[in-house]
Amino acid sequence: MKHAVLFGFLLLLFVFPLFVLVGYALDPAWRYPQLFPDHIDFRSLSFLVREAGPLSRHMGGALLYSLSAVVTTLVMCYVPARILARVPFSGRNLLEGFLLAPALVPPMTFAMGLHFMFIKIGLADTLPGVILVVSMYSYPYMLRALIAGFQATGDDYVLCAENLGAGRWTRLIRIEFPMLVPSIMAGGSVVFLVAFSEYFLVFLIGGGAVPSFTGYLFPLLSSSDRSLGSALTLVFVFVPLMLFVMMEWFVGRAYRRMGLDV
Amino acid sequence: MKTQTLFLHLSPLLIPYVSLFCAGVVLAAVQSVGLWSPVPLPSGLGAAYTRLWSSPWFYEMFGFSLYVAFVSALLATGGGTLLACGIWGMPALLRRMSVIYKATLILPHIAIGFIVLVFCSQTGVLASLARLVGMITLPVQFPNILYGGNGFGLILAYTYKEIPFAILMVLGLLAGFDRRLFDCARMLGASRVRIFFCILVPSIAPAMHSAFIILFLYAFGAFDIPYLLGESKPAMLSIEVYNLYFKRDLTNRPLALAMLMLMFCFSVLFIMIYSRVVSSLTARERKL
Repeated sequence: MKHAVLFGFLLLLFVFPLFVLVGYALDPAWRYPQLFPDHIDFRSLSFLVREAGPLSRHMGGALLYSLSAVVTTLVMCYVPARILARVPFSGRNLLEGFLLAPALVPPMTFAMGLHFMFIKIGLADTLPGVILVVSMYSYPYMLRALIAGFQATGDDYVLCAENLGAGRWTRLIRIEFPMLVPSIMAGGSVVFLVAFSEYFLVFLIGGGAVPSFTGYLFPLLSSSDRSLGSALTLVFVFVPLMLFVMMEWFVGRAYRRMGLDV
Repeated sequence: MKTQTLFLHLSPLLIPYVSLFCAGVVLAAVQSVGLWSPVPLPSGLGAAYTRLWSSPWFYEMFGFSLYVAFVSALLATGGGTLLACGIWGMPALLRRMSVIYKATLILPHIAIGFIVLVFCSQTGVLASLARLVGMITLPVQFPNILYGGNGFGLILAYTYKEIPFAILMVLGLLAGFDRRLFDCARMLGASRVRIFFCILVPSIAPAMHSAFIILFLYAFGAFDIPYLLGESKPAMLSIEVYNLYFKRDLTNRPLALAMLMLMFCFSVLFIMIYSRVVSSLTARERKL
């Protein structure tokens, strides 16, 4: 009983608001003091269909720089995370602390300084500029997840493979990397979400030239049309959710093929 | 491992760290003292800092940002911890279904701001509900949560957005917690409150501390939610930085960057002091 009440509370807190948004999306005329939407009108949904072109361009842009940020942060953090997890050296904790700082300190500080530099070297208002700045802000999540992953897996399997004569690349691709996939997924999901939902940094460095879904969403959310804002927010939840479900399914299948159970 | 090899292996991270993050901070610092300005500045080097030093509005905004960040981080960490403990105690099936809390984690901050707007404005869902039960008859009678000048709207939005994050962090640690300790304490006659504070809290404290630091500093320096919920007075620091940087003339840029540098220094100091205090507290606990 107690547990059911708590679960009901969680539903009310985290899922119910989404249903209210569905209500607004389906009934643009729903407003104070009606407690429930009372008719269905497809005005907002037809807007989504009519605007499918710009909508998918902005969604595609956001997916592109967010997924690129995941790959960039993975490349940046993989080898350093292995060192930080396995090799003891003096000042290691201090270094790790410094390296985690970009996720904690206000990102506006370094982003506005970088904006100045990016204008000089021509990276402002370009996709690579946005990917770089978003990666710089989100890599600590990937680094932390990878360090934890390296610490949890240990290097026994890699040593064993080395003893059996596996080369450097075989060890990396067939032993080390597959074992780290759960950590990479954990870190990658956070990096993706941070990048995908970021508004200010993309707006600052992308300058409107790099299409982003948050940039598309913002004017609609701050307008008085709650119905459109609701419909687009729901699109916003749906796309990453689908991506995560697909990823779970894909990785789960790959693991079963290798004969591992996760 | 030789120092050279060590640096070589760390370089994929150290090179971008130095050339982007550190360079960004240094460039912000350089511009904040008035160097490399795109226009000639009327006042000398470092004038922005002396101006901030003697501006009452700056202290007011700083205080307001601290207050919003502190209250929301505290509520989110506390609420998230309680919910996480509740979820942890659930039977397996319900526990698995409780992943629904992640819905809010996926939503961007601006969408959370929007939800708060939809629910808590004077013509929002809660106002309709209050009218139905007869608490109010006109929208203006509903408490002005969002624009009351006390930051409640911001606190509400941050707390709502951050609770799932705290749940996630705490649940991660609880996963490795030995339930037998719990049963043992029960058998020895400990009350629920006592078990919570003497057994559960000490073992999840690291997650609570990290959640608090992350959430506090995020709310302190972030831009998206205040920009959408837009209380103009008192304003968060980030909004004023934005206005000074983009909306006024170029001579105000050092002022904006000086504010950012002070926020940066405060954040670094906060992390250092907080972790020092926490580690000394845990050291004392171990002695007992």
